[in-house]
Amino acid sequence: MTTAETVLAPARARTAAASATLRRRQGFQHGGWFVAPFLALFALFVVWPLLRGVYLSLTDANITGAGANFIGLDNYREALKDPLMWDALGHSAYFTLLVVPCITVLAFLLAMLAHHIERGKWLWRLCFFAPFLLPSTVAGNLWQWLFNPGTGMINYVFGGDTPWLTDKSYAMLAIVIETLWWTVGFSFLLYLAALQSIPAHLYEAAKLDGANAWHRMVHITLPMLRNITGLVIALQILASLQVFDQAVVMMDFGPGPESSTRTFVQYTLEEGFTSYRVGYASAISIIFFVIIAAVALARMWLLRNRTEEATR
Amino acid sequence: MAGSFGFAALGSGADALASTARTRVRYWNLFSGGDGSNMIAMLDAFRKAHPDIAVKDSTLQWGNPFYTKLAMAAAGNRAPDLGVMHIGRVAGFAPGRLLDAWDTGLLAKYGLRESDYNPKLWQRGVVDGKLYALPLDVHVQLCFYRKDVLRKAGLLGADDRIVPVTSVDDWFGVLKEARKATKKGLQTIGLWINDQNFQWWFFVAFYTQLGGTWFDDAKTEVTFDTDKATQVLEFLRRHVTDGYANPAMGSVNAEQFINGAPFAWEGNWSVPVYSGAKLEYGAIPLPPVFGTRATHAESHSFVLPHQSDRGGATDEAAHQLAAYVVTHAQQWAAGGHIPAYLPTLSTPAYQKLSPQNEYVSAMNHQANEPKVWFAGSTGILAQRVGPIVVSSTVGSAKPDAAAGRMKKELATLLAMKNPMDGKTAAQGGTAA
Repeated sequence: MTTAETVLAPARARTAAASATLRRRQGFQHGGWFVAPFLALFALFVVWPLLRGVYLSLTDANITGAGANFIGLDNYREALKDPLMWDALGHSAYFTLLVVPCITVLAFLLAMLAHHIERGKWLWRLCFFAPFLLPSTVAGNLWQWLFNPGTGMINYVFGGDTPWLTDKSYAMLAIVIETLWWTVGFSFLLYLAALQSIPAHLYEAAKLDGANAWHRMVHITLPMLRNITGLVIALQILASLQVFDQAVVMMDFGPGPESSTRTFVQYTLEEGFTSYRVGYASAISIIFFVIIAAVALARMWLLRNRTEEATR
Repeated sequence: MAGSFGFAALGSGADALASTARTRVRYWNLFSGGDGSNMIAMLDAFRKAHPDIAVKDSTLQWGNPFYTKLAMAAAGNRAPDLGVMHIGRVAGFAPGRLLDAWDTGLLAKYGLRESDYNPKLWQRGVVDGKLYALPLDVHVQLCFYRKDVLRKAGLLGADDRIVPVTSVDDWFGVLKEARKATKKGLQTIGLWINDQNFQWWFFVAFYTQLGGTWFDDAKTEVTFDTDKATQVLEFLRRHVTDGYANPAMGSVNAEQFINGAPFAWEGNWSVPVYSGAKLEYGAIPLPPVFGTRATHAESHSFVLPHQSDRGGATDEAAHQLAAYVVTHAQQWAAGGHIPAYLPTLSTPAYQKLSPQNEYVSAMNHQANEPKVWFAGSTGILAQRVGPIVVSSTVGSAKPDAAAGRMKKELATLLAMKNPMDGKTAAQGGTAA
């Protein structure tokens, strides 16, 4: 590097920075117009309903929208003492506890399988991913037939006459099994992409150093998949807490045997549209929103600590 | 959202077309399957007889979505001219605000009077002295039985009908004999043991047989009798403990019955299903095991969803259409429902219908839910209390404990305010 260049460099850098700012500002102005349609829709269909929901949760509004009175925090007070709400929350949490670990492990195993199998790769990928493309009603109805106690395939294959959908000790399990089959394809795809992006030279180097397959898996594959595992778990927790459609389809839109599969979303819907208590339904959905947000933040916080430790 | 805009646009376009020539009645119903095609046939007959009236009928999904839609349409003053509701739901549907009252004078003009009805049924549609629900039928819970199996078991009388059952012992004696004649792998009776609606309906039937009550007249106190309730719950439970109902087959009663199970307790809407399957079967109201006859009954009824400008030719045409369908309900009876219009029941055509002629007496022995805002088909009452009945029948709760929980739940509901008007059952005019 010559002296002249060294002297000139800061000046050049300054102009570059200035033009970058300019570009950014212009970019924002143009970009602002591009995102405006989205922002308008977002405001209309997300922000406004959210604010309206907060307001309604402070009233005794019914479904007709007429004659709502402001009642302060009464709905929230009632909700905290409402055993049905806590039951529903428990069912959603139980479902989440069962689904998240199962789906993460299963997706990983299927991805490993599809990644390492040499022949008919496309067929494996298609098989594992295809159920995810089905609408929830189709998947739910399909499994309702499979779980049919008298004529269904599950009892036929495994014997016995287990009352899958009509006994409270099996009902949620049946929904979990259906959910695994139906949604594992998405996480499978994430894992498969991550597996394919691990550089091959890492494995080659390890092989040269004498690492066997198990060592390569534990010391290369698993660490390289840590980020994607975090993502899979996060997405699954958020999706599972909001479980609704497959559960109601499999239970014929009821709350399941002895109300054992009534999820939080379903209870909110029932309060709003069966009991016509829109104010109360808004209040419990706000409570649910806070719970989900807390779970998401807690997970982020836990993960942040871990990355800091890793870099330290 | 988009759907409702589209619907509104379609509606107004068709309005403009129809209003030039004929009176147009918009009619919302919830009838699908066999009921749906019977209703359409009746509407077509009406159209033929009254070419001056255009009937625009819309069939919506049965159940709570229907009621939600009807309530919101009435609240938004875009209600149809005529609708259908379960009569038990009427008290909770803000009569006077979401529903308009019938003009009985107009109904009489078109040939339909209070005297054409079972008086108790008519009264179920009356709130604050005004008629809000015009019953089309009653639909009841029945004991279906396979004649071929019962004949083998020696349980058919000379008239080819099931032997009379008048006590709990009689009934379990019948089940015991029937089981001996049942094919292997089939349960003796299907009674929807895991279904909160059916179990609740059966409970209401037998509790009424025992003379049980729910609330006092002022709707301030729960008069629910836990001893009687326990008796009913023990009776229902015994079907499982004695091995007549297979807990695994709770949801497939119809398949089991078609395959040869001797008994199934079902709503009368199963008649077209079993007749279609060409079974040799009969159907009686739920057996009077506690001495008096009573079986659970609900009723499809016509209602006038609230319109701020109701009246004139359209309103009169809605009255005319409803009166026509009620008085021409022979076809409706084929769907298993008992027509509410009594003259229909004494026609030779109806009396020849089998098994309808075997259970038509249920009209006079109805067990109903209490007339409060939270009752009615798939309403809050069934949703809250039904699961408790199920928990006892399937054995996860003791019958007496379950009866206690039912009473507690009834007290909670009685203290609850109707979200439509902010009043409890005791304060509300809807208690009638």
